[in-house]
Amino acid sequence: MTDRRSLDQSTRAVRRRFPGRWGLAGVALLALTLAAPGCRPKDSTPQDAAPAPAVAAKSEFVLGDLIQPFSPPTLAELEAKVQWKAQPVRDAIELLRQRQAGEKPALTPAEALQSRNDSPEANARILSALRRLPADTNAVDWDAAIVRHTGADVRSINPLLMSSTVEFDVAGLIGFGLFSFDWDFNLFAASDTVVSWHSSADGLYDKVVMRDDLVWSDGKPITAHDVVFSFKVIMSSQVPVPAQRSGTEKLKWVEAYDDRTLVFFHKEPLATNPWNLSFSVIPRHIYADSIAADPTLQNSAHHVKHEREPVTGGPYEVRQRTVGREIVLQRRATWMSPRGQPVREPPYFREVRFRVIPESSVALLALKAGDLDEKILSPEEWKTKTDGPDFYRNNTKAFGLEWVYFYFAWNNDTEFFSDRRVRQAMSYAFDHEEMLKVLLYGLYEPCNGIFHPTARWAPREPPPPYRQNLDRAEALLAEAGWVDTDGDGIRDKLIDGRRRRFEFSILVVNMAERVAICNLLRQNLAELGILCHVRPLEFTVFQEKTLKKKFHAFLGGWGTGAYPDTNENIWKTGAPRNYISYSNAEVDALFEEALRSLDETRREEIFRRIHLLLYEDQPYTWLYFRNSFYAFNQRLRGYNFSPRGPYNYSPGFGSIWKPVLQP
Amino acid sequence: MTTPTQPKPAAPPAVSAPAAPGFWVESWRRFRRRKLALTAFCFVALLALTALFSPAIVGTKPVVCKYKGKLYFPAMSYFNPRWENEIFFRDGFRMRYAQNLKDKDPQSWAVWPLVYQDPYRRVREGEWPGHPGNGSYAAPNRHNLFGTTHPGVDVFAQMVHGTRIALLVGFVATGIAALIGITVGALAGYLGGKVDMLLSRVIEMVMCIPALVLILALLAVLDTPTIWHLMAVLGLTGWTGIARLTRGEFLKLRQTEYVTAARALGAGGVRIMLRHILPNSLAPVLVPISFGIAAAILIESGLSFLGFGAPPPNPSWGTLLNAGRSNLQMWWLIVFPGLAVFLTVLAYNLIGEGIQEATDPKLRQGRK
Repeated sequence: MTDRRSLDQSTRAVRRRFPGRWGLAGVALLALTLAAPGCRPKDSTPQDAAPAPAVAAKSEFVLGDLIQPFSPPTLAELEAKVQWKAQPVRDAIELLRQRQAGEKPALTPAEALQSRNDSPEANARILSALRRLPADTNAVDWDAAIVRHTGADVRSINPLLMSSTVEFDVAGLIGFGLFSFDWDFNLFAASDTVVSWHSSADGLYDKVVMRDDLVWSDGKPITAHDVVFSFKVIMSSQVPVPAQRSGTEKLKWVEAYDDRTLVFFHKEPLATNPWNLSFSVIPRHIYADSIAADPTLQNSAHHVKHEREPVTGGPYEVRQRTVGREIVLQRRATWMSPRGQPVREPPYFREVRFRVIPESSVALLALKAGDLDEKILSPEEWKTKTDGPDFYRNNTKAFGLEWVYFYFAWNNDTEFFSDRRVRQAMSYAFDHEEMLKVLLYGLYEPCNGIFHPTARWAPREPPPPYRQNLDRAEALLAEAGWVDTDGDGIRDKLIDGRRRRFEFSILVVNMAERVAICNLLRQNLAELGILCHVRPLEFTVFQEKTLKKKFHAFLGGWGTGAYPDTNENIWKTGAPRNYISYSNAEVDALFEEALRSLDETRREEIFRRIHLLLYEDQPYTWLYFRNSFYAFNQRLRGYNFSPRGPYNYSPGFGSIWKPVLQP
Repeated sequence: MTTPTQPKPAAPPAVSAPAAPGFWVESWRRFRRRKLALTAFCFVALLALTALFSPAIVGTKPVVCKYKGKLYFPAMSYFNPRWENEIFFRDGFRMRYAQNLKDKDPQSWAVWPLVYQDPYRRVREGEWPGHPGNGSYAAPNRHNLFGTTHPGVDVFAQMVHGTRIALLVGFVATGIAALIGITVGALAGYLGGKVDMLLSRVIEMVMCIPALVLILALLAVLDTPTIWHLMAVLGLTGWTGIARLTRGEFLKLRQTEYVTAARALGAGGVRIMLRHILPNSLAPVLVPISFGIAAAILIESGLSFLGFGAPPPNPSWGTLLNAGRSNLQMWWLIVFPGLAVFLTVLAYNLIGEGIQEATDPKLRQGRK
């Protein structure tokens, strides 16, 4: 299956989004362990959903009841005591243009479309030609439409309620937002919506001045009051917001001093504070009067009407929606020229169409026929189904590295894996090369820890990824006391007076390629006298067992957060996603220090140290980094891969365009 | 069969009449005359032989070897991994016998399986003289008779070792079902009255349990589910048809004169049931048993096809079909296991039909 859909499932992990110029989903941490074949976002259960509507109807609705009462100072008082420092306000397309200014494409677009993407070098050449932005506005076919593929429909089109990847994609185009981040995870305010952004020197306040030429699609102005209202809605316990509260929870207050001036009050001065400023914004004039009657935002007649024909604040508006089939968005005239005069660049596509095709093989056929303009490819599709002329006639393909790693997790709370030497032995026992070359078609690169070598936070001299070394594994096991004492060919150890055989089971989501990886481990361990049972599980059962820590080991994956502090959630003692009960006092202290340190260089050092400490401890056996594989129609240009794929950053999808057809 | 013993004639007869052939002999004779059924029977017998000798047909462990002056049978560990001889672990063989045997004891000799392939792992290059190692998704060739899967595991090896599971599932599941079904049916039919009422309700209740859902639930609950759990569930839920049929037979037969006679002679209930009624009621029961075996094999393949059958790395035909589902151009993943499942199920059904026609006097008329 395609991995985008695997991300669809990751609603539990989705933290918040950063609607940028074209709006981009900023997903802090993606739980890939969740992937299951053909999974649909509708299966996902929101983590922090509000009580069921029936219950909600009984108790009275209080807007913003999760916010602690606070009376903000006046703006004059604040200005008197706070020292502001300016933060970047940028245009994402302009940023990309600057980045591409120095690049020399290796091929012309025509040559790139002629060549086959059969090696990393070919991929680099093809991308260098096709990722370019248009040389001038005359090169762009401004009337073009793009048909995007999605494996599942949206549950709701309301940006507040989004949780699956396709919902983030749609909300990114129709939603209104103040902040964005680029391919390097540099956070900035979007110049399309923001005039200035200042943070206080003590890290406790952020001040944003919005532009005055912003209107909703119904012509009403977008103001700071909409932002404050949205903050309060998100922080209302009865509103089922699945994915944004973890960011807004860290805010003490948001105050609109006039229609344009916003001040965000933080609870603590943390390095991650700026990332908490961004949340979805909904129009106050639509929802202010109706929310008390229907806090679900989905059930009342008024809300159903606005679910069907939403008032949008982003560059696109909804033209048509056929449930289960497609969502059609069109460029919004009031975004580009709110008062008749053009004030913003138009987005490149007149129309964006999301076609829902659940079956990947059907979607591939549609793509080959030219009915789809883009599609995620599974490694197998990349390797075996997209090499022929039937594919290259209408399309080309490209891949980019994604910071998504897969691992064997060892439950540190078990008598087997509490010993670091045993975990290291596991890493030495596994045949990494066989996995990379045969099981994964040689498409992925090995992984040595939590940060990709090209990340700012990765060690300068990265430790080498583990390679199979059975002698070393045997020595480590013997050192840890696991030897065959009773002559049955299975290693055992005397623990608390009881002889324990080294026999455990490893959980894995029931997908053929992942089960194959576990089978390889089983085979490798059998050669060392360890019995490992592979247990393929249905996705929900797998999730429950890992959440409840009922496992010896499992195969899972993590996506990258926008900032490294999100790792704290996995590695700190007792953290919610620390399923393996890993505990290292030094790591805990380092995360704490990083969070409170406002010095970026110092923070990078800290994260490097964490990476190395984790590598030494091997609480996971890190396996590989997954690439993202995409097929694009021959007419598409401007796709740039980031560590989060080609879309989920800024400008991301916003930089994709179609050239004018040559006569 | 209860054939009353012939009283010895006092005077030596001129010509002794040949003893009338028994019911089973007669049935077997009739069964034999049906070509199709007999072919099916031979096919199943062949499968049974394949299952029994699978480690000797294809494997990477010697069937017999002499190592450091002692005889070992390493191939037996394909039946049960615990039967792997400990000396090979101690000497660091790491499950590679071909080279290690020679290296560690030049005096050693070994008898190898007919085909050097493994149902669990990819055979690597240099492991066996002249073997280039399996490729991933290799089409059928000299070294991989039925091709390979994505991880490079030989399909032929998996199919040969998979016969064990296919046959086991059929026999064990249906064996359990037959045991329960016949017991319950016999009690209900013979005792009648309240017991019959109660047991019939139990049968109806069990019929309502969906076996597939139960298996899926069981897999989620159990810590290490094995193929035996699956067989047990299939057996524990699949006995109702047999029970109903047995009950009907017993209801009918307990009215017969020979049962009355036996009772008059003072035979107890258990004796009447086991000795007198049961043998006479078995023939019709054999038919659903035969069909049941076919159904169990299909269910196991179906479950494995969905990915919830034989737990990995057990080679199973259904698992192979599952691997072929998303790769239709790898035809060897569909054709060979598909044929195997089809032929086996067909064979059991033909056998069932053959038994039915051979034992049912109504069907016997017209053709001898």
